[in-house]
Amino acid sequence: MRDGGPDVEGGLGIAGPRELGDVRRFSHEAMATSFEVYAVHPDERYAAQAAQAAFELTDRLERELSRFVPNSDITRVNHLVAGEGARVGPSTMECLVIARHLFDLTGGAFDPSIGTGLASLELDADDFMVRATIDGVQIDLGAIGKGYAVDLMAELLEEWGLQHALVHGGFSSVLALEPPPGRDGWPLTLSDPGAPSRVLARLSVCQTALGASGVRKGDHIVDPRTGEPARGRKAAWVALPRPARAGAEASAEGPRMAAAAVTDALTTAMMLLSIEEIAALCERSPGLEAWVLPESVGGPPGEADLIYFGGRL
Amino acid sequence: MAGEDEKGKGKARAAGGGPPKLDRRDLLMGLSTVPALGLFGYAWNKQRQYQQARAEAATAPPVAPADLQEINVALIGAGAQGQVLTEAMLRIPGLRFRAVCDIWTEYNQKRVVNTLKRFKHEVNGYEDYREMLDKEKAIDAVMIATPDFWHAQHTIDCLKAGKHVYCEKEMSNTLEGARSMVLAARDTGKLLQIGHQRRSNPRYIHCYEKLLTEAKLLGRIVTVYGQWNRGVTPDLGAPDRYVIPETRLTQYGFKDMHQFRNWRWYKGKGGGPIVDLGSHQIDIYSWFLGANPSHVMASGGQLYYDPKTHEWYDTVMVVYDYDTPLGPAKAYYQTQTTNGSQGYFENFMGDQGTLLISESEVNNAGSLYRDPNAPAWDEWIQKGYVSAPQLQEVKEKSDTGAIADVRESVAPDRHTVPVALRDPYHQPHLQNFFDTVRGKAKLNCPPEVAYETAVAVLKVNEAIEAGFRLSFKAEDFKI
Ligand SMILES: NC(=O)c1ccc[n+]([C@@H]2O[C@H](COP(=O)([O-])OP(=O)(O)OC[C@H]3O[C@@H](n4cnc5c(N)ncnc54)[C@H](O)[C@@H]3O)[C@@H](O)[C@H]2O)c1
Repeated sequence: MRDGGPDVEGGLGIAGPRELGDVRRFSHEAMATSFEVYAVHPDERYAAQAAQAAFELTDRLERELSRFVPNSDITRVNHLVAGEGARVGPSTMECLVIARHLFDLTGGAFDPSIGTGLASLELDADDFMVRATIDGVQIDLGAIGKGYAVDLMAELLEEWGLQHALVHGGFSSVLALEPPPGRDGWPLTLSDPGAPSRVLARLSVCQTALGASGVRKGDHIVDPRTGEPARGRKAAWVALPRPARAGAEASAEGPRMAAAAVTDALTTAMMLLSIEEIAALCERSPGLEAWVLPESVGGPPGEADLIYFGGRL
Repeated sequence: MAGEDEKGKGKARAAGGGPPKLDRRDLLMGLSTVPALGLFGYAWNKQRQYQQARAEAATAPPVAPADLQEINVALIGAGAQGQVLTEAMLRIPGLRFRAVCDIWTEYNQKRVVNTLKRFKHEVNGYEDYREMLDKEKAIDAVMIATPDFWHAQHTIDCLKAGKHVYCEKEMSNTLEGARSMVLAARDTGKLLQIGHQRRSNPRYIHCYEKLLTEAKLLGRIVTVYGQWNRGVTPDLGAPDRYVIPETRLTQYGFKDMHQFRNWRWYKGKGGGPIVDLGSHQIDIYSWFLGANPSHVMASGGQLYYDPKTHEWYDTVMVVYDYDTPLGPAKAYYQTQTTNGSQGYFENFMGDQGTLLISESEVNNAGSLYRDPNAPAWDEWIQKGYVSAPQLQEVKEKSDTGAIADVRESVAPDRHTVPVALRDPYHQPHLQNFFDTVRGKAKLNCPPEVAYETAVAVLKVNEAIEAGFRLSFKAEDFKI
């Protein structure tokens, strides 16, 4: 365990990891960030092997999903011209289908094609074929891939019998499974990404995914719907309970719910959607919660209040 | 600005060691003004053709087109590599999976069978490959990705059953095993491709055929350096609930679950990192140098891991001697498993240039450096064999000092290999195998070639044990 204060990054962190007792921590660099597994298990070696298997899975996903890897599925998709198709692996297809679903759900505020035409890609999930109907669609799964990896890592850890675990990818995507024994949840903090010591909320969660998105001072994210830089938000967090059976198949209404992939993607959208839209989305989606930290107007910097959406209060 | 001009000129002269080569600079400037010219001509066309062929293949329906004879395939060994091969094969049209054999029925076998079912291949699972060969008469070709010590038996029995075989490297953990595989392929007249997949990688083929053989960009290669370094990782484990019963483990030659998962480290099962990793790259040494080694000396040790569970050397350093058609050469190879510094690559150093390449294009895009005194590469740049040095960026930055800046960027002469592999690493090698089954190609790694590599690689462990330089005879490589 790291010494001192909470493990925090980008506005989401674990409170006082040192006080968690017998939790083991394993780290691995992938997807340009640090993935970590926190797990409770009596056998150190066994836990390390399970974590290693989860990290190898992450590496495999990176090879398939990264647009920076010259022979990934996504690079192949990004090279398609109108009328061409590419066969992709099951993980790529699933991640694209979830992404497409969230694109629709958020009216394009979450758009892994950043305005280049996600809707013009045909996803044939039966045949694992992606077909382009126009030239130049460029997919970047950066805002969903980490979450998706975290979902699959968690399923793998459960397969290994590591139920009491938490997995995260650079803290922008966290998935809490069963809590450490004797606790009712994994203690998480939401803090100001510009001032990590300013804790805005404390949560205790299990079987829940939490995603965070934030900008540091002077940074901005581009609204894919307009191509303009978005302003007014400092950070957004989204929480979603994990479905009872994580590996459950897709239903008729949509793709299977990979909770961390969904929260990862939604946090990006919540940086852009209006307060009304966020409220409406949370209302329509039972269990979905969101926190938004607006950019402070006037007043001392960093003092704006957190806005909460969802059924918790 | 003027000052920078002067500086630029001075540099160009110093680097060239002679008068500035105006013709060359002008040519490069000309190229730099037209976007994408670095990739025009040969390489662009080649890349385009390659992509078109791939796109056509990809858009083809999963059932083979009428003129494409469907090949019935089976897999023996559905572990890490069996899964990689399966994923690549799912992208190749005209294949029909019939069966999967793996003794880890409750885990690896189930996973691959399930994946194949999702892709609508109705496959049967088997624990015993002999039962599979008995029952699945329709199989045309078998893919073998079992641990090295099983390769010879699996391959020979499949060949004798009338199947074509694609068998993973290392061909075998013993030379006798490898030799008997070559003979079985000859006796049965069936095809045997060994999984040294770089042999079919368009980037490596481009380097060998165009850069080394035709353009001779490196001149005479006198030294080679290559490595595969990996950081510390825990031994492989298995989920508790899928542990294989002991009787089955012993039946298939494993003393326990640890050995079953980490067979590479055990004598009599695998060959340690030098065979596991080194074999890929030492294979390229012989290919690119056009010769098999004449001598080998090596040092290795069990420096870090528990020697009881890591019987082979975790750290190996090797020096080979070669008598190449152009003269003597020495090649160094290192593999260690405690620090992943710089990953894996091969660096060929000739008296006229350098080629630094890795299978992983992310880690190394394929760099070429021209010796300042070597003939200019303009012709090869124009033909698209190598990229032009990146000039545009530098040029844009300056308004008045274009010439000087261009020269400045010319000095280091870093070029790249302008061919990309867009498919999974093993796909071209598998495609080459299936094309050969259909009578439309020649194997890129027939057993005789892989045998030569096995001779060179397996000798390293012997040389470490001996502690002195060992020599090869030409006939060692022949069967
Ligand atoms: N070309 C490459 O880049 C590359 C990469 C990795 C591995 N490989 C090669 O692939 C082979 C397999 O390596 P791996 O990493 O997948 O190992 P692995 O241990 O992950 O998989 C081996 C599989 O074979 C099964 N098996 C063992 N004995 C068997 C038998 N008698 N019959 C049927 N199934 C059996 C095991 O249950 C396991 O599922 C090795 O020869 C290795 O050198 C090649």
